[in-house]
Amino acid sequence: MAENLWALREQKKISVATLANRAGLPIGLIMEYESGQRGIDPRHLGRIARALYIEESNIKLQSDPRPGAAPLERQPAWEAPRGAPPPPPAPPASAPPPMRSRERPVRPRMEPRPSRPPRTPIPPRPSQLLHLENVLKRLKMTVAELEAEIGKPIAGLDRGAFSTLLKDLQVKMRETPLPTRHRAYLPESVDEFEGRYLTAAQAAGDLLHFTLFDGTPATGVIVGFSPYSITIRDAAGAEITLNKLALVSYRKLAGGQEPVR
Amino acid sequence: MSLGDYLRLLRARRRGVTPWEIEEATGLTKGLYRQMEQRYRAMGDDDSIRILADYYGVPFDDLRWRLDWSRKALNRTLLALALDQRPLTLHLWNGQVATGAVVWWDLGAVALNVGGDEPLIVQRHAVERWSPRLAEAHATHDGAGEEDAEE
Repeated sequence: MAENLWALREQKKISVATLANRAGLPIGLIMEYESGQRGIDPRHLGRIARALYIEESNIKLQSDPRPGAAPLERQPAWEAPRGAPPPPPAPPASAPPPMRSRERPVRPRMEPRPSRPPRTPIPPRPSQLLHLENVLKRLKMTVAELEAEIGKPIAGLDRGAFSTLLKDLQVKMRETPLPTRHRAYLPESVDEFEGRYLTAAQAAGDLLHFTLFDGTPATGVIVGFSPYSITIRDAAGAEITLNKLALVSYRKLAGGQEPVR
Repeated sequence: MSLGDYLRLLRARRRGVTPWEIEEATGLTKGLYRQMEQRYRAMGDDDSIRILADYYGVPFDDLRWRLDWSRKALNRTLLALALDQRPLTLHLWNGQVATGAVVWWDLGAVALNVGGDEPLIVQRHAVERWSPRLAEAHATHDGAGEEDAEE
């Protein structure tokens, strides 16, 4: 059986404003529907029913006024009292409209706040300075070059600016990988410095003497090397591949020098 | 020779049994054996070392003392002596002793100036002990060899 809108709303324990908000209708319209001043527009019925989680058929299209409630009154239009002077003539269209009573009054301007004292810049951390030094080394840049690039002296940067600068440099470092950067996968494998040493010895055709774990000596020039082995050619022209794990030490021999045992 | 290097040598003598097979045979935690072999810092404890000593049939003490002579500890000494330009003595696995200033080092080898024109390139896995032995040296170092290969 259909019921009055105001009764249904109160059953749901929601305010007029909430119902209006949920239904997406003006609050004044809801009040008019509830007071019975106006019948519910069929176009709005579905929205109101959904807002109340009820069927449309449960809502009376024309609500009865709430018992004891004063009839809903609209604000009467302003009328000049009798005997009062006539209202002033309408201002020209170009003049600004007079302020209406619903508009907010102009607040008096606040006194400007006293300005805060300027913050003292926080100097960069020692670790940031060290990190910058290392990054510049990797990038093969000088401080002067960096300062020319960023357009300001490094000494003037505070901690935050330093952090940003380091982030940018790290991105740059990632984008320009160094060809010499190498890390051995297994501990006994040829790493960066040994790789350079062997490469130079191979290019120069140096004679190297190797000592193996079992005491076996081996002497020859480097033919090539991999991460885990070095291949040499001995005096007889035979190629021998030495496993790195089997090596104790090795050394270049000067011309005519006897191997060091 | 660090514990990791020695374990690798023992494994090589077992005709290259894999770390996973050893973990399975001994019941070690998955990944622990590989870490004990490959990490530069000291890995493992007395229990795991005892298990591995049984597995390889070697005395427990022969493995245990090596835990205190890790590759990482050698890095600290190398760094300190290189900065101070003091000589380092390396006692090698084959009984050889090499003394000299550190020329360079990386994860695999150390170059010592032992006299003469050319440095001696010592394989780090052949280093048994060294002197002087420094517990803690300078904190950071930008050269090679300070960090673990995988860290």
